[in-house]
Amino acid sequence: MAITVTPAEFAFVLFDAAAIADCAAAVAESIGMADRDIEVHVDETTPLARVSVESGSPIVIHVDSGAFEDVRRPRHFSESGTMLTLGRALLRTRDRDDGTFGEAPPESELTLAETAAWEVYAVGRLARLGQQPNRQRFLYNFRNRHGFTNAGDAAFDELWASDRLTWNELSAISQAALAAKTVLA
Amino acid sequence: MRKFFPVEELARDERFNKVTMKERMADPRAVTNPSAGQSRRSSNRLVPERRDSADAARSLMHGIFVGEIQALEGAGRTCHDFETNVEAPFALKLDMARQAWDEARHVEISVKLGDWMGGEIGYVAENTVLFEAACSTDPILRLAGVNRALEGLAIDVFTTMKEFGELASDPYLAFCEDWMLADEVTHVKMGSDWLRKVTENDPERRKKALEFQSVVDKLFSYGGTRSESEESPIGLARRFRELAGFSDHEVQEIADVSLQALNERKEFVLKQRELAGVHAGD
Repeated sequence: MAITVTPAEFAFVLFDAAAIADCAAAVAESIGMADRDIEVHVDETTPLARVSVESGSPIVIHVDSGAFEDVRRPRHFSESGTMLTLGRALLRTRDRDDGTFGEAPPESELTLAETAAWEVYAVGRLARLGQQPNRQRFLYNFRNRHGFTNAGDAAFDELWASDRLTWNELSAISQAALAAKTVLA
Repeated sequence: MRKFFPVEELARDERFNKVTMKERMADPRAVTNPSAGQSRRSSNRLVPERRDSADAARSLMHGIFVGEIQALEGAGRTCHDFETNVEAPFALKLDMARQAWDEARHVEISVKLGDWMGGEIGYVAENTVLFEAACSTDPILRLAGVNRALEGLAIDVFTTMKEFGELASDPYLAFCEDWMLADEVTHVKMGSDWLRKVTENDPERRKKALEFQSVVDKLFSYGGTRSESEESPIGLARRFRELAGFSDHEVQEIADVSLQALNERKEFVLKQRELAGVHAGD
């Protein structure tokens, strides 16, 4: 596995490229992707936290610096935040590459609800691998996209607890939650 | 008990990490794209359509929470720091006591909303600039800074959060923000009323207080985080400011100073990018 991080040296934030590479290696190994080459490109000129990933060889991950930042100490690196960010991106890639998510739309065409549902599915798995995400944070995002309903919360629980879903199954769970929101509206 | 408490010594436990305004503004990164003269996205307003809206709302809620703590500390200090009926009228101090009670309730509400949104106490750095505005040795300057500038900012923030809660159909957020917004309008009006009353025969002091408020308003625009530009996440709540006793002219002045802060911030970021060798459009 080869991991490259750019820039090699940071001017706007107090990040260390080697530490980011270590996080990427650890996450890739934990989710069975230790054989893949990975490039991580950090846009350090913005504090936003956008992340996008291009599957292939190597896997290319683009992140804004806010996605790796410890917001308690602005401009400083957060190891746990970086692990979670990279884990989410790599699991989405793994889902696409292993065929179970073959029918998923391209990243740019995912709706906000689909993105939120996929995030929950990814983060739930990372939690079971030992990462410590704030569950309520992802629940709140999911509720914002699927409605503040009991059916929506049940859908969240199902996604969080799942280890092996197809795109169609994930999409159906998301759609059912959205339907409950529409009924209430 | 000690009077005129310095900002550096505010009591906080280990969960909090304080940062100063100077540290915050030294961050060379920008949400806006200064070289292109436009935002990195079409609008930075806090609306559910933003991909990062839940994270942004949670972070803003933490900012509200620490702001409420500092507003409580500021109002409480005003009750204690000035001699009754010599430096400050009794009724003014009574208003500040009532405000401290309101702020304490807001702290509790904000903590619960933060939990609801997936935040944790202290998970974002605490900017202490709010309390700094409450350190003036003149009670009227303090009211201009805290009640008219700080609480004025609170009106803008709560209006933004209330609208976000309504659009997202969050069953608690809009409701709680609406109640706190009503209190903030009252706090601003207290500041406006006392400023006019106490300086009725002292135009120089009034002028000084309004100048101080203008400086604080610019600081509280956080480099354009609050302005009427779509590049700012938080808008200016003109209607509620009118209800709180601001004249049209005063609201326009705040709009101008906020926009100025945004433009100055963009210039600063552009310079930092040039120094770092980052080119336009990168």
